[in-house]
Amino acid sequence: MSAVTVDPGTSGAGGSGVEVAAGGVDRRRLVSTIGVPAGAVLASLLVGAVLIALEGSNPLAVYAEVFRGVFVENRGLRNTAIGATPLVLMGCGLAIAYRSSLYTIGAEGQYVIGAVAATAWATAGGVRDLPSPLLIVGCLVIAAIAGSAWSCISAALNTRFGTNIVISSLLLTYVGIAIMQWAIRVGIRDPESFIPASRMIGDAALPIVPGLNTHLGFVIALIVVPVLSVVMSRTRFGYRADVLGHNPNALGANEVRESRVMFGVLGLVGALAGIAGYIQVAGVTQRINAEFSVGYGYTAILVALLGRMNLVGVLLAGLGLSGLTIGLDVAERTYDLPSSLTGLLQALIIIFVVLADAIAGRIELRRP
Amino acid sequence: MNTVVTDARVDAAPAVTARALTRRFGAVAALDDVDIVIRAGEIHALLGENGAGKTTLVRILAGLEHPTDGEVELWGAPVQQFAARAARRHGVALVQQHFTLVPTLTAEQNLVLARPTGRWLPRRGDAAGRLRSLVERFGLDVRGGVPASELSVGEQQRLEILRALDADASILLLDEPTAVLTAAEAESLLAVCRRLADEGRAVVIITHRLAEVTAGCDRVTVLRDGKVVLADAAVSEQSKHTLAEAMVGRTSSATIGLAQMGDHELGVERIQVHHVTVGHLHDVSFAVRAGEVLGVAGVDGNGQAELESLLAGVRAPDEGTITLDGDRVEVMRPRDRIRRGVAYIPSDRYRWGMVRPMSIADNIELGRGGRWRTGRAARHRTAEPRLTEWDVRSAGAAAPVRSLSGGNAQKLLLAREMSPVPGAVIACHPTRGLDPLASSVIAERVLGAAAGGAAVVWIGVELEELLSVSHRIVVLAGGRVTGEFLPPFNRNAIGLAMGGDR
Repeated sequence: MSAVTVDPGTSGAGGSGVEVAAGGVDRRRLVSTIGVPAGAVLASLLVGAVLIALEGSNPLAVYAEVFRGVFVENRGLRNTAIGATPLVLMGCGLAIAYRSSLYTIGAEGQYVIGAVAATAWATAGGVRDLPSPLLIVGCLVIAAIAGSAWSCISAALNTRFGTNIVISSLLLTYVGIAIMQWAIRVGIRDPESFIPASRMIGDAALPIVPGLNTHLGFVIALIVVPVLSVVMSRTRFGYRADVLGHNPNALGANEVRESRVMFGVLGLVGALAGIAGYIQVAGVTQRINAEFSVGYGYTAILVALLGRMNLVGVLLAGLGLSGLTIGLDVAERTYDLPSSLTGLLQALIIIFVVLADAIAGRIELRRP
Repeated sequence: MNTVVTDARVDAAPAVTARALTRRFGAVAALDDVDIVIRAGEIHALLGENGAGKTTLVRILAGLEHPTDGEVELWGAPVQQFAARAARRHGVALVQQHFTLVPTLTAEQNLVLARPTGRWLPRRGDAAGRLRSLVERFGLDVRGGVPASELSVGEQQRLEILRALDADASILLLDEPTAVLTAAEAESLLAVCRRLADEGRAVVIITHRLAEVTAGCDRVTVLRDGKVVLADAAVSEQSKHTLAEAMVGRTSSATIGLAQMGDHELGVERIQVHHVTVGHLHDVSFAVRAGEVLGVAGVDGNGQAELESLLAGVRAPDEGTITLDGDRVEVMRPRDRIRRGVAYIPSDRYRWGMVRPMSIADNIELGRGGRWRTGRAARHRTAEPRLTEWDVRSAGAAAPVRSLSGGNAQKLLLAREMSPVPGAVIACHPTRGLDPLASSVIAERVLGAAAGGAAVVWIGVELEELLSVSHRIVVLAGGRVTGEFLPPFNRNAIGLAMGGDR
């Protein structure tokens, strides 16, 4: 039966044999990268408007006040930038992880561990008298290593025992926060302080960037975005991360052992989260107290999703969400609205992003 | 469940009537003004090269795709809505080329899942009984109680067909059902199809194997480039020769094999498999010399999968060693394999060889290239000439591999693996599911590599093909080497060895 046949000289000829061809592919990608997040935000603002109206305020006036709070109010833009810094840093890492199909949700824990490690070093006797630039660089390195190590526990558990990364990374966050609570009470407690808190970070604090009027951390976040974009599009590491996300078998059979890429990606997520934690201490809170963990690591998940796992998208989503938070804060005070509105809108955005994503996927399936 | 098809249906309109069916993907027409009639009680062969539109046609009939234009009638009733569920209600069942089983569930669980009997899951014994009765009724042997992923490819295929039959299919569409079967299995499948047709069903078989058409089918429709070139012809009036001519638009006759490649000296032993045991494999040893093509024959599921992953360095043996030029094959160090010039053509290209959602250019780079990559435009530019060289028909290097037909995807894989000229080739079913033209290109390239001094292991299930390409054949049965043969090959002896010596 089907013996292999040859017809020398004509193997290059023959009609077009393409079963499926690209057509409108780019337009569809555009719809899913911009349409989905834009639609989700719009839909949640609409639902939010209904809720605001139920509270007895004029939604348009409230949203105008949000806008004013960000763009007109003194320090509105500055606060937006500062609030966006940890979101963008962690969102970038998570975006890369999700592209690799590594669904870690433990950035909050890595953020806390990075902050504690850097603060512990910077406030230790003998170290705290070092010159400021040395302290800052040292803190960045230590925070990155600590966050990265914390994140890699998930990778190690997965490689060795097959543990689910979602679960291990989430549970490790609780462990991380418990370590922080211990540290501010015992390990690195400020003996002068009444309430449990670390020492002030002192010379390891980040300087204010002249002109921008924000701390140095925002500039670091702004630099991280293009650097990681290049890493993803122009390096073997970025390529392998994408391949891991689409077909781990093909990665293992042709490029490199899967676990190596997994450690790399999760390590990167942790390093960025650790740096974000240190930057928050050194740029905003100046010390770690019991209320240090406020959930930036979870909001960053939303930032990664809303940014469609695209690094520039993450930057825009981080700035947007931070602006929404800052603006709503102003609007809540002006119109005497319940302060849960920010959380509510964020939750709505998550639901609508997931929903819009599913709808977009369905449309793509329908249309050839 | 017996004889689902009512007599009224048989007497009435044809099972399938399609008129002026057209399906466009972007600028390319996969189907162009296709008319086809399929009657109950007949086995209808759908013949054509890769990318001729056969799969698109049956997917439309099964409601998985919409036609851009044209109409379809099932049992005389016009199809209003192209949806899988509606097609199923009309008794259409499609067995796709790529399996749709749930790999972690057993055969009986897969059956239950596809056709639930009520709100509650049937008892384990009942489910097993249902599988057993289907197996006995249709003579398609499938093991129960084992996860589908552990069944051999042939068994998975049979399970797919059983599942379709279990759903009371009156129009059975089989997309390349014999591509993964041995000659004997294919023969028995055709016998089953005959019985199903005799019971009043319409059976459509997509195939490349001309012998199957002439031996087992009643009518044949040949597609070429999305157009019907031979419409609803009686097989009895056709010969393999006329069918081949209709299919490729020219007469192709010569069988490519070593005979066409000219003689060359065989060199030293390069690949050595030494008393290897793992999975199905038990104490397997052989060696391959430079310039030699070693054919591994046998019924699928007798240790071929293990042998493939061992040679490709994806899996480590429990016992024994595998060496290339005296050095051990490193496990899970794919870059090491590529550096040593070992080309790997996997049996499942979409699982082990390609990343379907990523672009053609990205796939050509898999396993190649250093720490830094060039820009996207430059990557596409470097990929284009290789697509031309290997005749990969695509919408450009930026198109995802998903958009390629099976044959073009395989050519793309070879374009990557076979350049630069490899020192060794691990070819696993390299021509599976490909039309004769694509097959011959691929065989030619693999044999060309052997002529250039590469040691080639060719794992295949099509004996005719192995006989023509191999310098030597070993037969795997029950995980052991049950025979080693040198030309001139004795088919009967090989067939006996494939049956196993136990």
